[in-house]
Amino acid sequence: MKVNRYLYPALKIFLLMGLIFGNIPLAFGQDAKEDAKIAVSFSEENDIKTITAIAVDKTGEPIEELELYFYVKRTFSLLPVGDPFNSTDENGMLEVVFPNDLPGDDAKGNVTIVVKIKESDLYNDLSLESTKNWGIPISLDPLKEKRSLWASSANAPISLITGVSIMIFGIWYIIFYIFFKLYKISKIRT
Amino acid sequence: MKKEISNGQVFETSREKDLLSHLISTSQKYKLWIAFLLLIILFGMFAYYRQVKYGLIVTAMRDFTSWGIYISNFVFLVAISLVGSLFSSILKLNNNVWAKPLIRVSEFIAVAAIICASVIIIIDMGRPDRFFYVITHFRIQSPIIWDVIIISTYLVISVLLLYISILPDIALCRDRLTEIPNWKKKFYRIMAINWVNHPKQVAILKKVSKILAVAVLPVAFAIHTVTSWLFATTWRPGWDSTNLGPYFVSGAFMAGAAVIVIAMYFIRNQLKLKSYITESHFNNMGKLLVLLSLVYLYFNINEYLGPAFKMVGVEGEHITELFAGKYSFLYWFVQLGGLVLPIILLLFRKMRNPVPLLIISFFVILGAWVKRFLIVIPSLQHPYLPIQDVEESYLHYIPTWEEWAITLASFASLLLIVTILIKLFPVLPVQEDEKLVINTDINPLIIKNES
Repeated sequence: MKVNRYLYPALKIFLLMGLIFGNIPLAFGQDAKEDAKIAVSFSEENDIKTITAIAVDKTGEPIEELELYFYVKRTFSLLPVGDPFNSTDENGMLEVVFPNDLPGDDAKGNVTIVVKIKESDLYNDLSLESTKNWGIPISLDPLKEKRSLWASSANAPISLITGVSIMIFGIWYIIFYIFFKLYKISKIRT
Repeated sequence: MKKEISNGQVFETSREKDLLSHLISTSQKYKLWIAFLLLIILFGMFAYYRQVKYGLIVTAMRDFTSWGIYISNFVFLVAISLVGSLFSSILKLNNNVWAKPLIRVSEFIAVAAIICASVIIIIDMGRPDRFFYVITHFRIQSPIIWDVIIISTYLVISVLLLYISILPDIALCRDRLTEIPNWKKKFYRIMAINWVNHPKQVAILKKVSKILAVAVLPVAFAIHTVTSWLFATTWRPGWDSTNLGPYFVSGAFMAGAAVIVIAMYFIRNQLKLKSYITESHFNNMGKLLVLLSLVYLYFNINEYLGPAFKMVGVEGEHITELFAGKYSFLYWFVQLGGLVLPIILLLFRKMRNPVPLLIISFFVILGAWVKRFLIVIPSLQHPYLPIQDVEESYLHYIPTWEEWAITLASFASLLLIVTILIKLFPVLPVQEDEKLVINTDINPLIIKNES
């Protein structure tokens, strides 16, 4: 029959698709990762600044041997702090010493510290940000900046500003004088 | 008075006919030439469209060679633009009478070159939409800002120089040319700003022209010196030199003189001006080219002898690469073919005839362009910090077709602007100076054209 020519292949495709899509949750379910929780605390003793992170799973059990990454946010990217690889101990705890010589983002010395779980086999990626005034305070007040070639435009050396201005005004005075004279020419009639 | 007629247009003198008739009729050859130039420009625009769409990645410029042939070409065009000041100022103030017929051509070229140079800088920008940041984030400490200021100033001065020299002739076109389209008549009327050869007008114009002739000189020197400072203030081998300013300026005058030779050759032949631009002009231009080339040779020796004698570190590597490395062919072509040989050849009278001088000038120009390439690119490939772990493409610079297309389009634009200016204005002063003589300041007398 003519109908069967189309019906059977269609049925086959329908069953095959059912098989594929039906198994998707199963296939992905096998690799599903858990969410981990990280508690970050900061302590400072005798000028040694320590970041402490405690990782627990969803049941509240400490996670051992979990790699955590510590960074400080800079203008364009993240600056790693601590050892290249840091793993939690049996209590799920990890301590990293914060360097004392990092410039802060502002006059208060605030820095943004980022703790991350990255590409773990068991846990989802996670990123936690906290602000702490552990950086060296920086002065962005342009009025306090010394006049120099590398300073902001407001603090250019006076000699440079004067020299360049004299040259620019000198030559543009002549240009405008010539425009004025051309105007005068246009006003002369026989 | 014997009147001359050409294409229905009545001219008062044969000089007028010779110098103005090309403004009335347009030959097929001229149209073809314009179409050819437009085609190259359109192709360049397509390449630029791709550059804007995909970014500077379509060029071969990368982290190390961040200035490519665009900047080489920019330096070349700025150099060419200096020729205006050579004729309108240096030769004029020295009373070189023979150079007078070439003043206007030099000003045409100067205006066209400086316009193209300004455009090429914007083309080199990865984000041309941010061009105005140069003004809104103005920093007087930046040599780039000095360059922006001086280029715009020189552009205005070049246009003024040209305008002041052609003003009486624009009025003449307004008064004489009847067989031209209405828009052209209107154009001449507006541009002539009521010029009527009035004694007072002549007196003002002469005064203004003298002021400009003096004022353009420091600006012209400044424009190329500041351009050289863009390099000299950047810490790279080959650029760390106090010689760079005069080296650039002298090279510019040499290249400019060669461009004038090429321009006058074609203008003389195409506009049939053999009795105005004579063989003696070529002879003199040949001598001038020798003089300017010798000055440039002197600065070249200064530029390379010191570092080549010491061969210190990266500076030595840079010199080795130029003298015997991958750029050696180009380097020796420039120094021998574009500098030493032209000097030797032009010492002979026969070589200063139009055709040999034209060929030599082509070599000088080619050498001048390649020279800018050699100033920019090899230096950038030798940073003082070591190059480590970079992509292969960062290590070489071979311009892409987009860069060549845009560069060719910039040359085509220069030629197009000059061609249009030649079509709009007489290339030689129609009213010679003798006809604009001032006897006294109180009672100036204009000797009317009686010839």
